[in-house]
Amino acid sequence: MVDANIMTTRRQILKSAVAPMIVPSLVLGQRAGAVPPSDKIIFGGIGIGARGAHVLSKILDFETARFVAICDVRNERRETIKSTVDQKYGDRGCEMYDDQFELLARADIDAVLIATGDRWHTPLAIIAAQHGKDVYCEKPCSMSMEESWALADAFQRYNRLYQAGCQRRNGANFQLCKELLKAGALGQLHTMYANVGPSVNWPPLPSRDWLAAEELPPKQVLDWDRWLGPAPWRPYNSSYVRGGWRNYYDFHGGGILEWGSHTVDLCHWAAGLDDTQPVEYEPVGGNTGPYQVLCKYANGVKLVMRDDGWDGSLKTGSCSFRLEGDQGWVETGDATKIECSDNIRPLLRPTEAASLALVNHVGDLIRSIKSREQPQASAAAAANSHIACHAAFIAFQRGKTLAWDPAKREFTNDDVANRMRSRALREPWRV
Amino acid sequence: MQQSTPPAAKPEVEKPKPPTPPAELQEREIATMDAAALIRILTDAGSPEFQKAKACQRAGELGAVEAVPAMAALLKDERLNTYARYGLEPISHPSADEALRSALTQLKGNLLIGVIASIGKRRDAKATPALAKMMYAGDANVASAAASALGQIGDAAAAKELQAALKKTQGLTKMAVADGLLACAEHLLAEGNREQALGLYVFLSAPELPRPARLGAMAAIIREETRVGRPR
Repeated sequence: MVDANIMTTRRQILKSAVAPMIVPSLVLGQRAGAVPPSDKIIFGGIGIGARGAHVLSKILDFETARFVAICDVRNERRETIKSTVDQKYGDRGCEMYDDQFELLARADIDAVLIATGDRWHTPLAIIAAQHGKDVYCEKPCSMSMEESWALADAFQRYNRLYQAGCQRRNGANFQLCKELLKAGALGQLHTMYANVGPSVNWPPLPSRDWLAAEELPPKQVLDWDRWLGPAPWRPYNSSYVRGGWRNYYDFHGGGILEWGSHTVDLCHWAAGLDDTQPVEYEPVGGNTGPYQVLCKYANGVKLVMRDDGWDGSLKTGSCSFRLEGDQGWVETGDATKIECSDNIRPLLRPTEAASLALVNHVGDLIRSIKSREQPQASAAAAANSHIACHAAFIAFQRGKTLAWDPAKREFTNDDVANRMRSRALREPWRV
Repeated sequence: MQQSTPPAAKPEVEKPKPPTPPAELQEREIATMDAAALIRILTDAGSPEFQKAKACQRAGELGAVEAVPAMAALLKDERLNTYARYGLEPISHPSADEALRSALTQLKGNLLIGVIASIGKRRDAKATPALAKMMYAGDANVASAAASALGQIGDAAAAKELQAALKKTQGLTKMAVADGLLACAEHLLAEGNREQALGLYVFLSAPELPRPARLGAMAAIIREETRVGRPR
């Protein structure tokens, strides 16, 4: 049965998402852990490359936010971000740091944007929480199951807010699909599809090799030790620093984690499964693709992580996901176009541009910091969707079907898989 | 009606191909080696560090108890320490605990910190006395790592040591001690020791303690006292 009020509800959601409503904490009343009443949320940033700069540009557009500090191990990036921020504000106020602890020690900073390479995401987010900061962190948010648990634990421990960079949770076309499922238009949900392709660029199994050593640049240009951070030592090669770290095991969780952190996360969110993970993982296909990992939740719902090319076979765009119920199906991606079964088509309506998802997502965090309510992509939610991806990645490495117990946090049919739940971090870093 | 002109095709710009790992830095057959072959690599002084690194990773995933001594010998290696711990951490055999505990007295600085982190991850309660002393080390990073490890061990004995240290430590070490106590409280809660856990949270709510930990403790008290369905 379709909810007759679906349109009204949708408009209400959109209204609040597109035009962020910042309610001063003075009005709400300050609670333990709340940001003191102030006009602006003060942000700092750590490790801001191309993706981070995109998120930063949205933060800078919010009058309710102020970005005051950048920390990066790359001198060029520090200078670039400072220049961008100072130009936006018309002053010279953005401070530069090469030590994250100095930035985090600033009492005036409420929240931190973390957009480093994946290896740094969890350790830095936890350190930020220990310093009392709220966090916006790019995805993938963790390098292992163990990091995922530590992340969720730390943000609960310090009562801090965490927004994973899973901005599609605040994207109108994705929200409409979720709304259709929730309203019963699709009937009983039985299968979800998360695009984790294309394997031609993002194979499920990253390389465990090293690149040849190159001469280290001067430390003031690039601090290789700090760049490596929690990742195991290896000789310097400039390709890693230029973004070529992806698809190397010590820095990256392969295509399943890379894209599953986008699309598996969407499935969890849409189906209301933010508090659990699938209990079974069956890898199908090879590393050169196309491949799938067939997963099943305890409630019988299936999740298919599939290599469906960059734009998806229905050309719904990158990061597509699909929900199938016994009465209909719906699929969408970054192109914002929604494909669906014929019976769903009358319920569709135009949705806003995909680019607004990130604006909404940043606004969602700013609202949350003011209200102290959890944002859409909390640490716990991100941990669960990432654990599903890590489990699928481990199943693919093992080449066998794995059974997983979410409560016991262990595979029940493979000891080797259990030994792959965590990775040692390079000293002195820990989670 | 205006005719739209199709945009001019953009010239294809070929991206530079990513470099290929040289043959001597490719994992190849190490990925399928058994424990005996891995130990041969690890104990051969002439083995390149790449091979030793990969052998440690493979040995850890295999759970090769026989390789523990060979990996323990690499804990003092500046470059291979992490790989050795990658290998040792997941091996659920007392010999791995013993190797890590033994290294506590042999290492300094970051290498020692790495070993402390591995001990914490394994929740090795036999290391508690040694870790307790390290919270007062001159190296604040070592002291902080020891406090975190005690938090991960998380039993009543670890909590007692951390409580004592909270009054005697400063700065980042004090933060780590407080963090360790919060972790202890979580372990105690998970194990059903609610009163002990709440006692720790009250202890951490004192005004002179680091603000993030104090607010965390206060939030935990509220969460626990308002939890629906808790026994009253």
